[in-house]
Amino acid sequence: MKEKSFKFRIIDALLIIGSVLPIAFAIVLRVLTNPEADGIVITGANIFFTVKMPIQDMPITESQVNSWCVIVSLFFICLYLTHGISEKGGLRRQMIAEWIVEKTDDLVKDNMGDFFKSFSPFIAGVLGLSAFSSLITLVGLYPPTSDLNVVAGWALLVFILITYYKLKGGVLGYLKSFTQPFAAFTPFNIISEFATPVSMSFRHYGNILSGSVIAALVAAGLTGVSNMILGRLPGLLGEFPLFRVGIPAVLSLYFDIFSGALQAFIFAMLTMLNISSAFPMDDWLKRMDKKRAKKEKQSNKKSA
Amino acid sequence: MQSLEVISVNIWDILISLANLLIIFLLFKLFLYKPVRKVLDKRKETIDGQYSAAEEAKQSALADKQAYEIKLKSAEDEADSMIKSAAATADRRSAKIIDDAKEKADGIIRQAHSEVELERKKAADGIKREIADVSALLTEKMLEREINENDHREFIDSFIEGIGEDDVTGD
Repeated sequence: MKEKSFKFRIIDALLIIGSVLPIAFAIVLRVLTNPEADGIVITGANIFFTVKMPIQDMPITESQVNSWCVIVSLFFICLYLTHGISEKGGLRRQMIAEWIVEKTDDLVKDNMGDFFKSFSPFIAGVLGLSAFSSLITLVGLYPPTSDLNVVAGWALLVFILITYYKLKGGVLGYLKSFTQPFAAFTPFNIISEFATPVSMSFRHYGNILSGSVIAALVAAGLTGVSNMILGRLPGLLGEFPLFRVGIPAVLSLYFDIFSGALQAFIFAMLTMLNISSAFPMDDWLKRMDKKRAKKEKQSNKKSA
Repeated sequence: MQSLEVISVNIWDILISLANLLIIFLLFKLFLYKPVRKVLDKRKETIDGQYSAAEEAKQSALADKQAYEIKLKSAEDEADSMIKSAAATADRRSAKIIDDAKEKADGIIRQAHSEVELERKKAADGIKREIADVSALLTEKMLEREINENDHREFIDSFIEGIGEDDVTGD
């Protein structure tokens, strides 16, 4: 690999700055706007401002802003990973980029089959957005995934995709599938249809939120214990919550890193499985055959 | 600052989040997957090209080898035939030389024979003449008179011819 040129290095540096800056901005915003809490306060996202909209006012909250920051950051990371990649390779980032692409391709192929090959960027998007949204708790930010609305939006998109692929097998077939195995099951089938996105969003949101809640409770509890035991010590020593040092980090390892990554993976897996199992391949192929036959007939008529 | 309830549903936030996921999907597709796929495809193309080039080179090498083998074989055949023809010409030539020599020798022998014959004839002629002379002398003496030598020579010659001939064959 030949020496990187000065221009190349400058662009690299700008891209790295571009991927770090949004997170830094979110941290600054958090520091400036987060009200000091007394004791245990478990609330949702802070509302920056509210836009008047029909049906319901639209609050622009921390979860939205943090989501956007994550998106911008991921965008710059993408640019960084693909900057200067070439056919011959040689850059470490190219290996990472190719690894991401190949792994998601394999994952999608294994779980959804060849028909859904083009889904790998979407699955990578779900994985990336979900994982990074959860992982920004590591720098003290409010995780957007612990806001129900955010995850519900993703689940709604998945629900739309599921319904779209179900309708590919024909509208009649879709409606008929609700009466399986017999007509009395129709209400249950409708409920189960809507249960999919609801369960997906609640699972993800609940896991991340419970992590935050438990972390807050443990931190408060440890402060209490520390006050109780060390409170008799004179001066600053008594006020300092010594037990809060270190112990919450172990919990954070589980709730922030492991749970965040795992929930992202679970959400992506469920997305893949639900969409691919919703697609009635046989019916779709039959319909395609019928359409082709019709077209051929028409073209024959035209030529005749 | 206000904050949302822990569990709150807001249709606009849901839609914003939905749009966010779509945006990240498009960003990933355009800025990560497309360039990487392009590079991977290009690499695959180059590798395929190299493989096919190697295959072609192998094929041509094999063809060359075959051609060389054929050429070598033909060269060997040629050498064989050359040697054979050379041997044949040599044989022919030696035979011819031997024949020539034989002929020459025969010629020489024949010449020698004819020379010998000639000599003999000469000698015979000489002897005949001598005998004729002698007999003429004898006859002269016997008859005691002069005989015309020339008149009798023919007669004596013919007489001696008959003897000489018998003598020669008798030799």
